[in-house]
Amino acid sequence: MPEHDDEIIEQVADELRGPVPLSASFDARVMRAVRRFPRHSRHSRGAVWSRLTAPRAIVVRPLSAGLLAACVLALAGLGLVQAAKMVRAAAKPAVGGVFARTAKPAATQRVQFVLVAPDAKKVAVVGDFNGWDASHAAYQAKHRGGGVWSVTAPVPVGHHRYSFVVDDTVWMADPTAPRASDNDFGLPNSAIVVEADK
Amino acid sequence: MLSGDVEAFAVLVARYRDRYARYAYHMLGNREDAEEALQDAFTRAYRSLARCEDPDRFAAWLFRILINRCRTTGARRGRRARTFVVDEGAVLAAAEEHPAERAAWREEIGRALAQLRPDQREAFLMKYVEEMGYDEMSRSTGVGVSALKMRVMRACERLRGMLTEVQNA
Repeated sequence: MPEHDDEIIEQVADELRGPVPLSASFDARVMRAVRRFPRHSRHSRGAVWSRLTAPRAIVVRPLSAGLLAACVLALAGLGLVQAAKMVRAAAKPAVGGVFARTAKPAATQRVQFVLVAPDAKKVAVVGDFNGWDASHAAYQAKHRGGGVWSVTAPVPVGHHRYSFVVDDTVWMADPTAPRASDNDFGLPNSAIVVEADK
Repeated sequence: MLSGDVEAFAVLVARYRDRYARYAYHMLGNREDAEEALQDAFTRAYRSLARCEDPDRFAAWLFRILINRCRTTGARRGRRARTFVVDEGAVLAAAEEHPAERAAWREEIGRALAQLRPDQREAFLMKYVEEMGYDEMSRSTGVGVSALKMRVMRACERLRGMLTEVQNA
């Protein structure tokens, strides 16, 4: 059978490869169903979930201009021009660094997240500090102009994984931050360490 | 498990729902059954997460669960009535250009798909729509490669026959 030379079959396949919309309530229904089940034990032997959600011992030093410059050079060297643009834009003083702190000692710090996404209509930050909830009001980034999106939001002191969610669909690691060595179903995550004030 | 971990599962739902909704919809022929099968697959995956041997292969594992849910849902529906329901929302969503022709063609494809044997429809969708290789299809279905090739061939023959008639009408 000429599998790849069959015009009708290819037409059928092209038609069927289009998206199929789900009900707007689909996610909510799934999560309601999931919450009815007993919780998984984080400490049960062999529990995959614990592997996926356990905090990772990633040491990240506070970002400095030198690290940002190194990221830019590394990314440019790899030909990731767009990503490098994001790093450069993120490093601009107008939008601050990747994270900044208030002077007040606290169990949480105010962290500024910055992403350059010129084509985005919406950007949110999700992480283990907000239950990976892309609709969390405190973590919705605002467009600051020039494709730069940022939000300053509270994050508890400690090691965290996070990511950006662009237009509710695209999961994007922070190009200015170290990547968490995740095995989290292929989702790209970034890592930060939020330190208490000394 | 912390409550945050439950919420983390929402990320996985968001990531995989669209990709697998397509398979379930074309396998079952209507959105209601497709959503039921997909929801069932997600909840079973959550409940059985400890049995996912390789987290890096979560997507394939979830797909295997969905295949089984579609088989179960399809068999149950088959006992009730073997019908194909045109999902007008999906048809309209796909009919931005030449809406009447496009919608009619899509409807005919849906009808033709519904007339395939479920095992042939399953193999055809995996091969041509999900663009899986035969080895991967075999791992997902538990069916041998030779049998899968035969099913795909039969499905193509039937689809070609039914849709050529439509095009020539």
